[in-house]
This record gives sequence, C-alpha cells and structure tokens, in this order.
Amino acid sequence: MILVKDLSIERSNKTIFNNVNLSLGSGNIILLKGKNGSGKTTLLKTIVNIIDPSSGSIYWKGKPLKKNLYDFYNHTTYIADKTSSLSKLTVQDNIKIWKKIFLSKINNSQIESILKTLKLDNYLNQKVSSLSFGETKKLEFLRLIIEDKKIWILDEPLSSLDDESIDIIGQTFQDHRSKEGSIIFSSHQNSDIGVTEEIRL
Amino acid sequence: MMFLINPNKFNKAADFLIKPILVLSIILFSLGLLFSFYLSPEDYQQGSTVRIMYVHVPSAWLALLTYAIMTLYSIAALAFRIPFGFIINTAVAPIGGIFTLICIISGSFWGKPMWGTWWVWDARLTSVAILFIIYLVIIFMNLSFENRVVREKVVAIFVLVGSINLPIVKFSVDWWNTLHQPATISKLSKPNIDPSMMIPLIIMTFAFAMIGLVIAILRIKTEIISRKSNLG
Amino acid sequence: MKFLNKIVSFYYREYKLNLSGLQDILTNIIFFFISIFIFIFSIGPDRETISLIGVGILWTLLLLSSTLSLRKFYQDDFENGNLLITHLNGFSFGFIAILKTFSHFLFVQIPFLLSIPIACILLNIVNDKLIYLFISFSIGSLILSCLGSISSSMNLMNQRNFLLGSVIVMIFSIPVIIFSVGIINMEENFNSLINILFGILLIVFAINPWASGLCLKLSLENN
Repeated sequence: MILVKDLSIERSNKTIFNNVNLSLGSGNIILLKGKNGSGKTTLLKTIVNIIDPSSGSIYWKGKPLKKNLYDFYNHTTYIADKTSSLSKLTVQDNIKIWKKIFLSKINNSQIESILKTLKLDNYLNQKVSSLSFGETKKLEFLRLIIEDKKIWILDEPLSSLDDESIDIIGQTFQDHRSKEGSIIFSSHQNSDIGVTEEIRL
Repeated sequence: MMFLINPNKFNKAADFLIKPILVLSIILFSLGLLFSFYLSPEDYQQGSTVRIMYVHVPSAWLALLTYAIMTLYSIAALAFRIPFGFIINTAVAPIGGIFTLICIISGSFWGKPMWGTWWVWDARLTSVAILFIIYLVIIFMNLSFENRVVREKVVAIFVLVGSINLPIVKFSVDWWNTLHQPATISKLSKPNIDPSMMIPLIIMTFAFAMIGLVIAILRIKTEIISRKSNLG
Repeated sequence: MKFLNKIVSFYYREYKLNLSGLQDILTNIIFFFISIFIFIFSIGPDRETISLIGVGILWTLLLLSSTLSLRKFYQDDFENGNLLITHLNGFSFGFIAILKTFSHFLFVQIPFLLSIPIACILLNIVNDKLIYLFISFSIGSLILSCLGSISSSMNLMNQRNFLLGSVIVMIFSIPVIIFSVGIINMEENFNSLINILFGILLIVFAINPWASGLCLKLSLENN
C-alpha cells in the first residue's frame, strides 16, 4: 500500500541516506535496521510526511502521498520514540482520552484484558508519572489497539522492554498480520519477531 | 538581475562592484559633510541645529528601506523558496538596526534644543522606537536558535509579521496629529524645501546608502561563506 | 460529524490537561493580584491617582500575566509528541493552531476575565466603566491568545532564550493596549475604537493559523 521510491534525504548539506526503496503491502512486517544516526527515525518521519524528502517520492494506494494525506492518516498509527501519555493524569484517564480522541469503538473489557496481559491492570488509578519507563512504553502500545488502524509505523518499539513484553508485542504483531494489517518498525537490536522483510540503512 | 537572488552570481557581482562602491561612498560622504557643514545655509528659525537633519533624515529613510528590503526578501524566500533571501535577512538586520539607532539618537539631539526634551511620546517617535526593538529581536533570534533551518524561516516569518509597523512609521505623521513635522519631501507634491538644503540632504542620503551597501556586501559574503562551510 | 467529534474530544483532552494543571492557572492569577498590590504600594494609596491610572495598570498586568503562561502553550505537547499525534489524527497544523488558541482563551484568559471585577474594586474603577473594560478585555485577550500562539510556536526550537517569546507578544500587543485603554477613557468614541480593536482581532486571527502552522511544521520537521 505504501511505496517508497528512490528516497534520499539531505539535511544541512549532509546526506543521511540515499536511494531507499521500500514497499509495504498488506500482511507485511518490515524491519528497519541500522546504527544510531543512520536515519531510521528520519525515514519513518518522512513516510508520515513530517519531513520533506530531498528527492524521490512516496505513494499511498498508487497516488502521491501528498495528494491524499489525510486518507493515509486515517489508516495509520504512528508511535514515536517518545511517550505521548499525559504524565499528570492517571492511566485510566489517559485511556479514556485516547478512546475519545481516536473515536474508538473498542469496549472496556477488551482493554482490560490487554492491560492484564501487559501487567498494567494494577496501575489503573495511578498517575503515569509514577510508572517506570518500560511501563509507560507498554502503555503507549495500547494506542495501537485503541486506534485500530491498518498500518502501524513504530519507532524503536522494542528498546527498553524486557523479553516477556517483547514476546507479547511479537504476538500482537502476528495477530495484526493475520488481520491483513501491515507494520513497519525500526530497531537496532536483533529479535525474532516474525519479520517478513528487513531493510538495512 | 540574477545576482540579486543567486549567491554565486552575487559573489561575482560583489567582487566587481565593491571597490567602485567603496570609493563612491568615501567621495559622497566627504562631499556630503562638506556641503552640510559649510555650503548650506543656517535655518532662520532653527539656526545651526538644522544640520542634524542631514544625518537624521537619511538614516531614517535607510532604516525603513532596509526593513522593506528584508520584507521583500522574506516573501521571496518563503513563497518562492529562494534561500538567498534568508542570507540577506541575517546579514542586513544589524545594519538596519544601526541606522534606526542613529536616527533616534540624532533626533533626540535635535529635540533637546528645539522641543526642550530628549524624548516625546509622539506617534512617529514611538513607532520608530518599536522598529528599533523589532530589529533587536531579529538580531537576537539570529543568535539564539541552534538549528539553522528553523532559525532562518522563523526570522523570515517574524520579519513579515513585523512589517505591519512600516506603514505605521511612514504615515504616523499624517494619521495622527503629531509633534514631529510631516514629510517635507514626497513624490506627490513639489518638495517645499530650499534647494540649498535639498542638495546636501540628497548627497548625504546617497552617501549613507553607499556605506550601508558596502557593509551589506561584506556581511552577505561572509554569510555565504559560512553557510557553504556549514559554520552558521 | 466525525470531524466535529474529534474537535470535541480535543477540547475534552485540553480540559483534563488544564484541570490537572489548575495550580498553574491559579498561580497566574495570584501573580496578577500581587502585582496590583505592588503597583499600589509604589504609587501610594491615593484614591484619585489610582482610579486615574487603574485601567492602564490592569491592562499592563493582564498582558504580563498572560505572557507567563506562554511557555505551556505548545511546549508540552511538542515535547511529548502529542502535537504530531493530533496532526496524524486529521488536523492540519493551521487548524491545530486555531484550536489551541481557543483553548488558551478558554482555560487561561477566561479565569482572568472572571477576576477583573475584584481587581476593579481594588483599583477603585467605577462600576459603569466595568462593562467597557469587560468588552475590551474579551476582545483584547483573544488577540493576545493569537499573538501568544504565534510567538510560542516560533520559540519551540529556541532553547537558549525563552524570554524572546514574551518580547514578541509585547511588541505586537502595543496597538491592542493603545486602543483598548482608549475605549475606557473615551466613552463617546466607543464605537469607532471597538471597531478598530475588532479589526486588529480579525487581522491577527487571519495571520495566526498561517504563521503558527508554518512554525509548528518547521519545528517538528527539524526536531
């Protein structure tokens, strides 16, 4: 669905990467690998049209991305390397806000079961600022379920998580794949999540 | 005319032009000083203080002109994606600031004997003071952003928004009843100033413009070089 | 309909956020009142003088205290990535700027508006001027919100000199101050002055989404 053609990015006279080609069909899981500073985050940001590429083009459903940007956004969840939950509010409030913002149709029992598997169900009435970093990161993944979109674009989803959580996320990825969703994520570490394609930057 | 929007062509044109302009500015400035101090008459009301006008008026005009140039280049840079406009913005802002400062200081030297005070809260004076503050903010913005791409665009946007002040400065003497005298020289009517005073005024204006141009060329060239080597 | 729902939920989020940061807003108001006290201490408690310059003091302090809250305008949302999420949720940057401006007006300026009558009692401003003050402040504070949006979006990437944002707001608020103080002192000219104030509001309202949207996109791009 997403087609990236000969993408190059140059910022302040420095080439970050050259001629990247990528195509994301339904049921694909693409892993972007590379060292720190190799441009993984930049590439993901370019795909969601935050950064303008110096050359090359991106297509969404066969049309240039810029032409039907908001249709693309309607089908995409993007999780940056930061955590977007509001630290002053409780976990429950955050979930409530997300459900409202994304006009989610997920019912509460579903969310509760996910919270249980993520081991966050005890923190429901605690403020997000009292959670550990790994836990806030896990909370962030709840957005994937709440938003319920076809395409997931994730920036470093596996960093600072324990093996157990990585297994859960791998499970979620496979579930999403079986529902014909597609995922593109970046990582600098090796992991055995069922990746269909690997791109080195 | 491509040298007005292309850094490389500007460099070539500047190398060719800078020496004549420098010589011209020296000649004009000494000629202007000569005229304004010895060859122009004293005003029958203002006496010798009228000579302050030969510094005050040219610097005021050039302060406005500099800002107008910055506005035009900001539009060019933002709307037509001509990066040379950003270079002009960073290079020219301090020059405009200095002209405004000269204008304010010489004006208050004139105001002390004429109006009996250094400063009056009059529309023209206040709007010029605001122009000076706007120049200062532009200079500080250039100093305080770390990312160059963000900095130059933000400065250009600020220049555009701040250009609202320009017509206020220009027409403040017509719109409000002010202590400051209305413009004596304008295109629409015949100037009501004596030629003996008109000549030094015009010479001084060109001299100031040439001096400003020399400094501007040097600053723009350094800016181009520092951008090429990624220093700024 | 979906779009409208999203706007409503945007404001629900802002409401929750401001409710949890209620002490910030209250601190602003305390700053406002303390400054009034300090003004009165430095001028002296002469009733005549105070009522003469009271309106000017009120406007200056409202401007100063609303610039205090500028830091919160976009900075938090920018740093935790919510700005990007809101954009991906289907709002253009310009529209985010408009929404945020109204949110600032609702949650920061309205509390000030409510505290004006008390300040008027302290500053000995007569009751029949209060209505003029109210009208001028409600227009003026919306202008200040727009200016705040522009300047704080400009300053997102500026880590060294945050005060610059306040200076920008103050420069552009000069005409607002001139005309809104004029409204109260010249009651016979009320209509023409309020029209000018309204004109300024429309101008900044037109510039705001353009300038702020551009700055927001720029900062996200280079972050």
